[in-house]
Amino acid sequence: MPAHEPSPFLHAVEITHWLALGVMVVVYTLRIRWLLSFRATRDRQRPSNSHRTDARRGAYYSLANVLMPWAMESTRRGFAFYMTFALFHLGVVAGISLAFLSTVARPFLRHPVVSATILGLLFAAFAIGLYRIGRRLLRPVMKLISTPDDYFSIVMLTSWFFLGILTELSIISRLAGEGYAVGYLLLTSFFLLYVPFSKISHYLYYPFTRIWLGRTLGHRGTYPLVKG
Amino acid sequence: MSARENKDTTYKIQVMRDILAKKLTRSVVGSLVACVHCGMCNEACHYVLTHPDEPKMTPSFKADQLRKLFKYNYDWTGRVIPWWVGAKEPLSDADLEALKDIAFGTCTNCRRCTLNCPMGVDTATLNRIMRGLLSAVGVMPEGVRVVSKDQWEVGNQMGVLKEDYLETLDWMSEELVNEVGDESARIPIDKPGTEVMYTINPREAKYDPRTIAAAAKIFWAAGESWTMPSEGWDQTNFGLFSGDDQLGGASARRVYEKMKELGAKRLVISECGHGYRSTRCEGPNWVGIDQDWEMESSVFTMLRYLQEGRIRVDRNKLDRRTTYHDSCNLARSCGITEEPRELLRMVSNDFVEMVPNRAENFCCTGGGGAMSMSEYTPRRLKSAKVKADQIAATGAKIVVTSCHNCVDGLSDLIKHYKLGCEVKQLVELVADALVIEDCAVMRKSKAVVEMPKPALPLHGRRILVVDDEPDVRVFLRTVLEDAGAEIYEAPDGDHALAMARKHKPDLITLDLSMEGKDGVSTFAELRSDAEIAGIPVCIVTGHPEFRELIYQRAVPVPDGYMDKPVKDAELVDNLHRILGLAEHHKAPD
Ligand code: SF4
Ligand code: SF4
Repeated sequence: MPAHEPSPFLHAVEITHWLALGVMVVVYTLRIRWLLSFRATRDRQRPSNSHRTDARRGAYYSLANVLMPWAMESTRRGFAFYMTFALFHLGVVAGISLAFLSTVARPFLRHPVVSATILGLLFAAFAIGLYRIGRRLLRPVMKLISTPDDYFSIVMLTSWFFLGILTELSIISRLAGEGYAVGYLLLTSFFLLYVPFSKISHYLYYPFTRIWLGRTLGHRGTYPLVKG
Repeated sequence: MSARENKDTTYKIQVMRDILAKKLTRSVVGSLVACVHCGMCNEACHYVLTHPDEPKMTPSFKADQLRKLFKYNYDWTGRVIPWWVGAKEPLSDADLEALKDIAFGTCTNCRRCTLNCPMGVDTATLNRIMRGLLSAVGVMPEGVRVVSKDQWEVGNQMGVLKEDYLETLDWMSEELVNEVGDESARIPIDKPGTEVMYTINPREAKYDPRTIAAAAKIFWAAGESWTMPSEGWDQTNFGLFSGDDQLGGASARRVYEKMKELGAKRLVISECGHGYRSTRCEGPNWVGIDQDWEMESSVFTMLRYLQEGRIRVDRNKLDRRTTYHDSCNLARSCGITEEPRELLRMVSNDFVEMVPNRAENFCCTGGGGAMSMSEYTPRRLKSAKVKADQIAATGAKIVVTSCHNCVDGLSDLIKHYKLGCEVKQLVELVADALVIEDCAVMRKSKAVVEMPKPALPLHGRRILVVDDEPDVRVFLRTVLEDAGAEIYEAPDGDHALAMARKHKPDLITLDLSMEGKDGVSTFAELRSDAEIAGIPVCIVTGHPEFRELIYQRAVPVPDGYMDKPVKDAELVDNLHRILGLAEHHKAPD
């Protein structure tokens, strides 16, 4: 586990963080079991357009949709928004990597390319987080559909990116003290415990919803979409 | 639990909970839990685009109505701290009414948002489920209640009685036999062991029987062994719109059972988006049987006949620009996008695509049963602006669609936005374009008995009907075709002149007040062109005041004059008289 020399307090926080991960894995497993406890269905009609597609192709296409901004009108037209979405999620990956690597491979995080990448992504995600908070607060449509969970999640994530930036800066010795790392890991631990109960767990459902929709629309001959 | 308004409401909520429990499949739950409220589906919806100041039009708000109920009863967080995740149940009849307004009045279940959600959330399905819950407790628009009742009790959604249906088929048979002069063109009813059993939308039997005659003509021309059933003929299914899977299953079962009873090999579904989706795609699921027989849209059938050379068409018969409107149910839910286009290109020289199209097309705004919910008509027509703009941009004079619902929805918006075009289905275009001499029925049998044609007053006469109102043209066409005439149509003066020069009709009926080149100038040009000056013209106008303008022109006066609205018999008599006189004048002394 931790392969550096943290203070006893930071060490305890690191342990907590790994324990939180364990809890999250258990809760996520239960979440998936819960989702799969609902009745599975299948289309009983014969396939359509079987000369060009089927349920499997539909599922692959649907799953890969997120990587094909040209596939949906919403991402084609809102390409800038799509890019913020991509960066935001890359920021999440950077933040998670930072949390775990800081407990097991701190020197790696000091590598100039690694630290620049992590800082860049975290900063971009932080800026996008601020934009998203504003969008949710100011746009009537977004206000209407937002729940306290939606606000809380985006505010917490944005704060997490910010703390992540400070933590990485402290790791590369631009900031002094381990307070940032402590705060960051505690917040990460909180997330690991909170996420399965919030909308942030959407990524857990993502493959399921996309595959199920894709299977249906593939069987019915709609996916992959034919463009005019 | 919060205080309910009364026992009755409490009972309704309990029923809704019970039904929700039955509807919760994995994919439905996935859609319920996966929405991140990102708003990316927002601009996919025609209601949003046309109601920019009403945030409640956004798709995720509509889906959230079911999501709240689900979270309140199933979600871990929602059950413990409901307000945190927006979990909530309706508490009063007013809440249920508000839900009704959202589920039925702000969504046509078109599935456009579904295809634009990065998470794969099927909002349209969630909205349909909400409709089902509300319908189960009697909270639904009156139109939905009436239509559902008719479908349950009479067996079809327009309450067409069996004798009326059979009478209509008989009438269409008579027309067809008269038209093609072959007694075998009669529509077979309940004929056992045929290749094809053909089902229709009750709208065809009630309001638009010519599409039945058109299909019958195509089957006859292709030499098909086919039948229409005396029962189980309604392929439409209000269960799809009301969210009532039981009605869905019962209606689909009627069709399947009749088909099995007759021993037909293939079920051919007339051009109807929701009928096709209900019968071909959802029906087996609702009924709970695996499809072990052939089912197809008549679009595929017609295309196959053409590809196999069983029928031939002349695309030059259609000289107006066409565009194609994809029905949501066909394109997004059933993957039918290419075949209708292939078919349309065979009967139309001037086809232009609508943008966007195929699965990205916008709803006709009459989908999801919207045409039966008159209380939402103003909102529907406002939302139709998106579609109206799409159509106008094509410059098409004929909007072709393979869906009866779309025919109604589009006709309504075309009238509302004064687009000056008309809506047709492929079956009509194919039937009109048939080259009978080259069809299987003629090749197969020299023994086709030439029926003596009854002495119809306008038999064999070719009449060009010029009017910018599609409804008026349909009326004139119907009356004159019934009287035996062959009809050409033109929606304005320029087309009229071109068609007159091309077809040299025996007579022209001419409206005076038209967009573009008006009737007065058209008439003057007609009379000034030696090639067509001799064609008799009967003015049919709603503006008697323009009469003077015509007579002021230094050209020979019209041969007849009628004020709108015209009566069938008077029209036929007048034209018969004009044609008789013209012939008399032409005849050598
Ligand atoms: S339905 Fe999809 S696109 Fe719409 S808000 Fe929810 S996640 Fe976003
Ligand atoms: S299904 Fe169609 S009408 Fe309903 S919310 Fe989605 S886009 Fe709008």
